[in-house]
Amino acid sequence: MNGNMTFEDNMKKLAEIVSELEKGDVPLEKTVELYGEGVKISVLCKKQLEDAKIKITEEK
Amino acid sequence: MPVITVTQVNKYIASKLKGDRLLQGIMVKGEISNFVHHYKSGHCYFSLKDKESTLKAVMFASAAARLKFEPEDGMAVVAAGSISAYERDGVYQLYVNDIIPEGVGKESVALEQLKKKLAAEGIFSQEHKRSLPVMPKKIGVVTSLSGAAVQDVINVLTRRYPLCELYAVNAIVQGESAPQSISQGILKAESAGCDVVIVGRGGGSSEDLSPFNTEAVARAVYGCKVPVISAVGHEVDFTLADLAADMRAPTPSAAAELAAPDINQLAENIDNYRRRCERAALEAVEKKISACNSLSARLVSQSPENWLKLMEEKLMNLEKRAETAALRNIERNNAALAEKAARLDSLSPLKVMARGYSLVYSGEELVRDSACISKGQTVKLRFDKGSAEAEIISTDGDNI
Repeated sequence: MNGNMTFEDNMKKLAEIVSELEKGDVPLEKTVELYGEGVKISVLCKKQLEDAKIKITEEK
Repeated sequence: MPVITVTQVNKYIASKLKGDRLLQGIMVKGEISNFVHHYKSGHCYFSLKDKESTLKAVMFASAAARLKFEPEDGMAVVAAGSISAYERDGVYQLYVNDIIPEGVGKESVALEQLKKKLAAEGIFSQEHKRSLPVMPKKIGVVTSLSGAAVQDVINVLTRRYPLCELYAVNAIVQGESAPQSISQGILKAESAGCDVVIVGRGGGSSEDLSPFNTEAVARAVYGCKVPVISAVGHEVDFTLADLAADMRAPTPSAAAELAAPDINQLAENIDNYRRRCERAALEAVEKKISACNSLSARLVSQSPENWLKLMEEKLMNLEKRAETAALRNIERNNAALAEKAARLDSLSPLKVMARGYSLVYSGEELVRDSACISKGQTVKLRFDKGSAEAEIISTDGDNI
């Protein structure tokens, strides 16, 4: 689902999920769904951080 | 004595002055006054004065254009030039090739003036300063790729923020061609899609800063469409590039740190987000559970079992009331019965008979009228105690 998204996009999504959950009054099914997605994205973000390798382009 | 013309006199004097070596290629010290920069011709007219005298001076447009600063009234200078006469007006004056500000260096005066001019245009204004992107995707570095600066930036970003792409543009950072090279480098980084650009070089002497103190570089920094961090590598002097930049860093390493967040911090942020996610979800579920419990308690109170129990209780209550009521009724009836029986008893014929009355029966019929019996008929007599049979001897009717 988030495989092609950049780290920045994922972080943004994660922040959105957290604020949505913290808003409260979310239906139970949605809560479970959001929580699951939040955990998944946080794992993905961590992995993206671990796997990150700087790309250097030189313009002579 | 021959008569000569005014022109001849002035020409002669001019040639005399030009011919005097002591008046050619001289340096004259004085203070500028009445300075006029002729708008159309570009020539400058002014006077040099000291405490006692003044000397007229002119600087032609070609020489004035070479000046890196604008002379001003009151400025103490040394003017280089030659004395000659302006034949038309019959005045002698200093024809100036160059002006060197006294005291402060010529370069710094020029720089101060350039700074003033750019400031007036708003090149350094705080309103123009943009905030740096929080998580840049592509960071541009414009510097000499053979210098230490670019390696410093690479080292910092590799450690801190390997998520980004680094776009390193080689620029000449010293000499005549440096300003243009740096300005072009900024444009290249911008058009390559960088979202923040670091412009700079490693540390060095004040002289090496000069490309970053040029109008071209200051304008390129200001004109860049994405935020620029200057990293000229000098703690003390602020270059024009520093002043025009959105952010100033003392060194290229510091610039790299300003340009990107630290992934360790980001990892912490992720953990934090996750904790908040968990807490919020847990709270939400707990809230639902308690709502569910409260509803379920209300539901149980409405269950058929509970209803039956209630009904049973009601029934038992009614039964009890019925029993008590019935018992009370029976008692009341018994009393009434006893009273009635007593009254009945008092009315019983047997009681009358006990007082001496007897009953006469004809067959089964109680005789109430003598007409019902006749002479010779057998009747039954009943007394209070015992009975007898008797024959009728006569009745009232017999006698009539």
